[in-house]
Amino acid sequence: MNCRKAEKLLLRSIDGRLDGRDAALLAKHLEACPACRKAEAQYRSMFSLLKAGRDAAPLPRFWERLQPRLREETELVPLLFWERWSLRAIPVFLALVILIGGFHFFAPQAREMSQSATLLIENRDLFSETQALFEADKPETRTMMLLFASMDEKSPARRPTP
Amino acid sequence: MEEKQLVRLAQEGSPAAFEELVTKYQPKVFSMALSFTRNREAADDLAQEVFLKAYLALPRFHGRSEFGTWLYRISVNHIKDYLRKKGRAKEVSLDDVPEISFSDRERTEKAQLERETEARRTLVQRFVQGLPEKYRVIVTLRDIQGLAYEDISRILRLSPGTVDSRLHRARRMLRTKLAPYLIAEGGANELSQG
Repeated sequence: MNCRKAEKLLLRSIDGRLDGRDAALLAKHLEACPACRKAEAQYRSMFSLLKAGRDAAPLPRFWERLQPRLREETELVPLLFWERWSLRAIPVFLALVILIGGFHFFAPQAREMSQSATLLIENRDLFSETQALFEADKPETRTMMLLFASMDEKSPARRPTP
Repeated sequence: MEEKQLVRLAQEGSPAAFEELVTKYQPKVFSMALSFTRNREAADDLAQEVFLKAYLALPRFHGRSEFGTWLYRISVNHIKDYLRKKGRAKEVSLDDVPEISFSDRERTEKAQLERETEARRTLVQRFVQGLPEKYRVIVTLRDIQGLAYEDISRILRLSPGTVDSRLHRARRMLRTKLAPYLIAEGGANELSQG
């Protein structure tokens, strides 16, 4: 085993994560290698110093100081919510304006529909409506025909062409 | 009362339940903040902010992980943000380390020993702070806070293999830097030599 591998096993051993076989191999290496023994002593010293920084007593009255801050933040939450959503609402509002504007812009074109299209939309019988239209024309046509007929009677007879 | 029940009650708006959770985790969160900042006031402030964040985020906690893991994740991220803002990520060079010499001025052997230990502790902490962030975080969580590998893996969202290799590298870096100041084989203190 080389020293690099031994260092890996050494750290696992200090962590308590080394199985029996590897532990035996490491012990054998440490016995023969003063550099790794020195590394082991250094690591152990380093870890004990690191652990010493763990047990620091916190400052007193932590909860008493935290409580008003929690209350304050909770009161602020609706405002923050509104602030966040009002920012997000701007693009939505703009999109709505564009949509409504677009609808109004294109709407007149949509209203200029043919008579048959209107009838279709209103779900009315196309043929009966057409018939009705023809019938509606009839008195007018009849009047016109009478008018032309009376005009023909008043005009002098045509002379035959030489 | 069980922790899950406390969390549920806190989510429903019970201040007493949240207070119990704060009492349980406050020493750990404070200790973690202190390991990173080495300043009690700053650590206390950070711990308060972490609990504020956790309180506001409680409705989004669905219990997919342990409450402690979730809280540690908030703590680590908040402390990292704080350190980034403070620009503490700079490397600590040997020139930054206060000179430690133990002369005859120390009256008693005990006082000298205490001073030596304290000096070494400060030194180690300063070197930890000088590590690149990804190594500093992992060393703090494992070797200072003593969290399990699995917990670190969950908190940092890293694979166990990455945690293992990163920790190994961090420890090697730290030992290399600290070697002249650590106790050598046989218990001799290299600090007091020379």
